[in-house]
Amino acid sequence: MNRNPLILFTGFLIGVIVVLLLFTFQVRKSEVAVVTTFGKVSDQYTEPGLKGRVPWPIQKVYKFDQRVQNFEDKQTEGLTRDGFNLIASVYVGWKITEVTNFFPTFAGYSEPIQEAERNLERLLSHAKSAVFGKHPLSDIVSANDKGTNFVAIENEILSAVQTELRAQRYGIEIDFLGIKRLQIPESVTQNVFERMTSERKVLADRSQYEGESQAAIIKSEAERKAGEMMARAESEATRIRGEAEATAAESLKVFNQNPDLAILIFQLNALESSLREHSILVFDPNTPPFNLFRGVSPNLLNPK
Amino acid sequence: MERNLQKNGLINAVILLGVGVAGFIVARYVNSLAGLVSVVFIAIGLLVAAVSWFQMRLEESERLERFDLDELARGRAGSALFETKDSEIFPAQRSREQFERFFVPIFTTLLCIGQAAAAFFLWRWLSQPALAVDLKEPRMAIFFFVAVFFGLLLLGLFSANRARLENDRLLRPGAAYMLLNAWLCLAVGGGAIVVACGGLRADFYVARGLCVLLALTAVESLVMLLLEMYRPRVKGKAERPLYESRLVGLLGQPQGLVTTAAQALDYQFGFKVSETWFYRLFVEKALAVLICLQIAVLFLSTCVVFIEAGEQGLLERCGRRVEGRALLEPGPHLKLPWPLDHVYRFRTQQIQSFEIGTTPEAAKEESNVVLWTVAHTKEDNFLVANRLPPSAEDSNTNNAEGGSRRTPPVSLVTGTIPVQYQITDLPAWAYNNEDAPALLEDLATREVVRYLVGADMNEIMSVGRLEAAEQLRQRIQTAADGRKLGAKIVSVGLQDLHPPVKVAPDYEKVIGAIHSKEAKILAARADEIKTNALAEAKATNIINVANANRIRIESDALAQAALFTNQIPAYKAAPSVYVQRAYLQALAASTAGSRKYVLLTTNTKDVLQFDLQDKIRADILTDVGVKK
Repeated sequence: MNRNPLILFTGFLIGVIVVLLLFTFQVRKSEVAVVTTFGKVSDQYTEPGLKGRVPWPIQKVYKFDQRVQNFEDKQTEGLTRDGFNLIASVYVGWKITEVTNFFPTFAGYSEPIQEAERNLERLLSHAKSAVFGKHPLSDIVSANDKGTNFVAIENEILSAVQTELRAQRYGIEIDFLGIKRLQIPESVTQNVFERMTSERKVLADRSQYEGESQAAIIKSEAERKAGEMMARAESEATRIRGEAEATAAESLKVFNQNPDLAILIFQLNALESSLREHSILVFDPNTPPFNLFRGVSPNLLNPK
Repeated sequence: MERNLQKNGLINAVILLGVGVAGFIVARYVNSLAGLVSVVFIAIGLLVAAVSWFQMRLEESERLERFDLDELARGRAGSALFETKDSEIFPAQRSREQFERFFVPIFTTLLCIGQAAAAFFLWRWLSQPALAVDLKEPRMAIFFFVAVFFGLLLLGLFSANRARLENDRLLRPGAAYMLLNAWLCLAVGGGAIVVACGGLRADFYVARGLCVLLALTAVESLVMLLLEMYRPRVKGKAERPLYESRLVGLLGQPQGLVTTAAQALDYQFGFKVSETWFYRLFVEKALAVLICLQIAVLFLSTCVVFIEAGEQGLLERCGRRVEGRALLEPGPHLKLPWPLDHVYRFRTQQIQSFEIGTTPEAAKEESNVVLWTVAHTKEDNFLVANRLPPSAEDSNTNNAEGGSRRTPPVSLVTGTIPVQYQITDLPAWAYNNEDAPALLEDLATREVVRYLVGADMNEIMSVGRLEAAEQLRQRIQTAADGRKLGAKIVSVGLQDLHPPVKVAPDYEKVIGAIHSKEAKILAARADEIKTNALAEAKATNIINVANANRIRIESDALAQAALFTNQIPAYKAAPSVYVQRAYLQALAASTAGSRKYVLLTTNTKDVLQFDLQDKIRADILTDVGVKK
């Protein structure tokens, strides 16, 4: 068989890589590693670098992320002190502080980090319900000048969970905690929608009836002014008529020269005026000039 | 020698059994899908090795039987009355013949069915969506399967060479399966290496490939069975075992592929392609070198890394940050090859963004118009406060001591709040938190929630929007700085904040009502103008009429006075005549158009009925076309 240098080199390289993979491992800056020998913890590494090991099944290496882990719990419903249903979720930043406590507690699970978060979720849920139950809704939701106790509530939950974690000795600590979501149940949401709708309806109705009211006032004012104008005009017309009558009355003195004649003329004028339109008149044969139908006076036929 | 071959066959079977059991345990433990599929091949190899070993025993028995009979025949030469060569007196031979005639085809048929069924069910199992494809302990898998590869390869090569040298057809099948399983274990180990390097689905793909190979072997077994029916039998010629797979033999000894390919090329082109200098140089001699060169080049290519524009890279050597070169700027960089140096890339100069509050829906985002009353995203409601009126606030303050504060009214708003950020401190971003983008999103959401529960809804949707956006940006920046995220918040947008779709129409109705109110007021003003103008005109008319009447009255009075003045002398001249004349003139003038009835008979008591109804004039009837 030809001993080709390149083949030998490649084989050697592959061998070195396999040996490196089997006999060494790397610990990153963001990691912490625990090494067990036949199941017993023999070493732990928090500093980054290349470390040696004996291959499986003699030694096994468990690596954990030692950075702050971000975790959000489920949204759970609870009651505030004044009986208001509130759905809330919180997020926490936690990290492994004592791997010697953390590893034995969670290493038996296929996903230790997720298992730790499950335990954390139980603690969070309990603390959250307890703290929210001590505060009224106005401590959480308020637009008034005093503001809310949002941060204080977060600190209370954080304190409660940290106390419990220390007691349980999980080897983890919570760096920070925050309320991420605040919701209300669906049934209450519908009621809130109804309230918002009613609030808008009040504003809309206010505008509508203000408009009608002002329109009525304006119309009433206009009619009042029109009435005043008409009244003044009528009054003026009456005054003018009075002046005309007074002026006309000056002329009546002339008729005093022969009152009978004046009365006759006025009667004849009235008769003439009243019989203008479609009148029906019935005369007897004595009424002049229809008395002519009974014959002419002989005196008129024989004038002297 | 024969017993050694039998022993070799038995050893092959036992080793395959042991490797199969161990492989199954390890594959289950590390959740190696390819490992589990390879165990099926090992099981098939075990069955083939066991059957071929048994067949070797039968042939050995037959050979011993023939040897004994030959010895007996030489000792009794010429003394027997009847000589017979009936096979009934060779039980071992009969056993072997019956084994080959019946058991082998049945076994091969069952093997074919088993291969096909295994391929089918394994493929279906691998296609399950809930199947966990992550390899739990890649290093354990690498160690075991690479070790098994070396073991099976050595033993397989030994058995194969021995079968070739001894020309033993029954040792070949087991040896072929040993070699095939060796290469399969190497493939499984290679998949585990790729998984260890980050290719998380490599093991799954290798498992899929092995399923295809299993199906091909099943097809080959079926073809062999069918062809066997038509193959001519040559007396005295040793038959190839029906369960021996040519495909397995080819795959188990890859150099055989090259030979087979050369023979196929020679046959196809009609001349000895395999003896040309090109073929000898590049296929037979240089192929391995070329493959190794490619592997070496691939390995050395991991020494160069290109950081793209807008990115930065974090260089780690054996897990530690490299002093002076921890941060790589855009461009080419040299580094130590894998697995010593690793580069982790991050987009730092690019403005990145995420959205709080809603999940945009692509289909609805195509619309150019965003209305409050039309859902354009999957709504996520935020609690927001309503400012209490001053009287209610005082009441709340007074009741605070008694603990019976009135529950403040809450409202809901929805909207998409985009947050744009940029990474400014990459080491802080990468090393302080396990999931910095998720943490930033959590911080931002928390600030938004905290701000809204303390804000008045009407303010924040109107005059307070811009100020709120800036305040939120500052708050999120402060929170990010507090967590040492190493990010700069570029902007926060509140432009899409609005009431939920369900109540949005009621907000629009308020605007409608305001406009309706204005419309009514304007209509009333128009009415006012009309009323006043008409009244003014009417008033003017009344006064004008009065003035006209005045003039008329005065004129009439003066005229009548003047007339009377002239009438007096006329009257005085002939009073009775004047009176009659005046009467008759007036009568004639006034009754000209009137209907007159003159009753001339006075000495009768007639009853006269006058129809005083007004009749329509004939000319009117003519005008409207009514015929008499």
